[in-house]
Amino acid sequence: MRKNIALLLVLIMLTSLLAGCWSRREVTEIAIVLGAGVDLTTEGQVRLTVQIAKLGAFAAIGEGGGGKSEAANWVVSAEGKTIEEAQRHLAQKVPREIFWDHCLILVMGEELARKGTDMVTNFFQRSREPRETMWVLIAKGEAQDFLKTYSDLEKTSAQAANLLSRMKSGYSVQLWEFAEMLASKGVQPVAARIEVKLTGFTPGPSQEMTAHKQIVISGVGVFKEQKMIGWLDDDETSGLFWLKGKPITGVITVPSPGEPDKEVSIQIRRGSTQVVPEYDGRNLRFTLKVKAEGDIIEQQSREDLAKPEMIKALEKEMAEEIKKKAFAVLEKAQKEYEADIFGFGEVFHRKYKKAWRELKDRWDTEFAQAEVNIEVEANVREIGLLTMRGSTPAE
Amino acid sequence: MEKGKISSIQAILLMLSMILPTAVLTVPAVTVKFAKQDAWLSIIIATLGGLLIAWLVVSLSQRFPGKTLFEYAEEILGKVPGKIVGFLYIWLFFLQIGSGVVREFGSFLVTVLMPDTPLIVFNIVVVIVAAYAVRNGLEVLGRANQLLIPTTVLLAMVYIFSTGNMKLSRVLPIFDGGLLPIIKGAFVPTMWLGEIVTLTMIIPYLSKPREARRVAIISVLLVSFFLTASILEALLIFGPNLTGHWLYPVFNAARLISAGTSLERLETVIVLAWILGGFFKIGVFYYAAVLGSAQLLELRDYRPLVLPIGVILVALSILVWGESIVDMLHFITQVWAPMMLVIFEVGIPLVLLIVALARGKGGKKR
Repeated sequence: MRKNIALLLVLIMLTSLLAGCWSRREVTEIAIVLGAGVDLTTEGQVRLTVQIAKLGAFAAIGEGGGGKSEAANWVVSAEGKTIEEAQRHLAQKVPREIFWDHCLILVMGEELARKGTDMVTNFFQRSREPRETMWVLIAKGEAQDFLKTYSDLEKTSAQAANLLSRMKSGYSVQLWEFAEMLASKGVQPVAARIEVKLTGFTPGPSQEMTAHKQIVISGVGVFKEQKMIGWLDDDETSGLFWLKGKPITGVITVPSPGEPDKEVSIQIRRGSTQVVPEYDGRNLRFTLKVKAEGDIIEQQSREDLAKPEMIKALEKEMAEEIKKKAFAVLEKAQKEYEADIFGFGEVFHRKYKKAWRELKDRWDTEFAQAEVNIEVEANVREIGLLTMRGSTPAE
Repeated sequence: MEKGKISSIQAILLMLSMILPTAVLTVPAVTVKFAKQDAWLSIIIATLGGLLIAWLVVSLSQRFPGKTLFEYAEEILGKVPGKIVGFLYIWLFFLQIGSGVVREFGSFLVTVLMPDTPLIVFNIVVVIVAAYAVRNGLEVLGRANQLLIPTTVLLAMVYIFSTGNMKLSRVLPIFDGGLLPIIKGAFVPTMWLGEIVTLTMIIPYLSKPREARRVAIISVLLVSFFLTASILEALLIFGPNLTGHWLYPVFNAARLISAGTSLERLETVIVLAWILGGFFKIGVFYYAAVLGSAQLLELRDYRPLVLPIGVILVALSILVWGESIVDMLHFITQVWAPMMLVIFEVGIPLVLLIVALARGKGGKKR
């Protein structure tokens, strides 16, 4: 018995040795990358820029409060023929081992995106440290400018971009979704665009507000295969949401039925899109059945909207507005870009297996010539806490 | 020689641990490459194949109650040819697959967890642990497995959590490429399910040998169920194109999970299931090789063979499986799977059964 207990003790003590392992890394020995940006240099190489977290600044959260005592990140960049080579060159400047596990965002510069994303995505999918859940963003201009900004609310701009993307402020896609779109013939990839704008205001030394550069998510970049071919602006992006049938939240602003120069805003609660392809061997037609549901959230006009006929009229205008947005982006995708960013090809493939085999290699031209009908069924459900406009009625 | 007995449930669970772990990681990518979004149909075809093999193997075993493959091969074919068959099984089936699993075991851990650790460290460590289990006999192996198999529930949890990323439309349209790609895709999973042949080494030690047929059928169905779930998990998330690009799609699918903002990095569960399952898989093949060798050499005890065969397993895992993981994958899909399936899982058992029937060897169940 005593012998057994002794043996057990020895075994338990031995387990403490198990933790000391190969490839172990202490927090003080690693440089945690929060965001990575890739640009194309003039020599055609890639420039990898990383935003590295300074852990000391993170630990200070809650102490003191207010006042920027220490920047929470450090930005460095290096160049190389491939990402990995650039990373090796980075290792000459960063005194710790570069650690990708917590990398939240991957920003690609515009020029690089136009040359092709394969130069970038392969490394981030192949190596085991970076995660497929990082957000893919396309910078208007250079990716490194974006990483050099800071956020007032979050510790770093990479974290701010992560939260913005998670809130679906723009059409954000994660790396695996981007890779899936790249791998499919029935859909062309899109990724959210970010810009750097002089929009943030923080108190300067003399309590005066001074402006600094901040990130803004706006619009999306449109790809054909792995090369970016153009942008969609904010309005077109909201049309993209409708056409892609993604869970839609957002606002639609329409003229007030009785007073067309005043506006009414409707917040979208739910929406869905069903795409029905029709093909007779020559003509390709898509019918989109869009359903939208929303609440009145704001009214500029002074008329009484809480009447059934007013709601009906609003619903009609809402449907028109959605249609307008959808057609705007459709027009651009068909005429200007000839790129099926909506995934109509996949829907078509599901219904017409045989025809797809013929069409898939020239799908984008077929898509560009397809006829598209959009039917919108819009409903207004709630009117908020006011029944009337809340001020004296117009005579 | 082997005094222990295991219950039917333990046998089923042992078969589950023996086939599933490597199948979950390796099969989805390979099958999807052939059959695209119809890969899950390939598994249904493979299940039929697996059930046929199970039927064949059990029929054979039940004609010779209390005897393993090595013993009745001699009875059916005569002493020398029987010994040759046994020898082939040890060297080209049990040791081959066993060393393959040892290699895959280490390879996966090197790829996804510890790139700086030499492969051979994992291989040696797992074989040492397996050697201890094998030395203690079938009963210990069966009970330890029964104790640890609930971790499979964690795997189910991973699948449930990843439903958020799934889209049913990714497996449509069905029958896109016709029947041929589906059948091509069914080849590799059939080989995996056919590993049920190993049951011939366990049936004699079932506490209720009459239930052997049920054990075999339930094992095959259970494994198919989990395999289908794994393939669908990867397919519904990554779609038919991207799934085939990953090396271990199920592992990547688990990495995507983010429930709320706190429950993340569930790929650890996959690694856990892999380490436990890999160990039992190695254990069963190791045991079969050791017991088979002892019966072949007509020893009184199999235990002296445990260590030498362990050394052989480690050596083969490094030597036979090529220089790189690319060699290994190529070998598995191009050479290994067809050879195992045609010769050892269907060919020899079928010949044995036919010869036994023709010569009137072995009785019906007594």
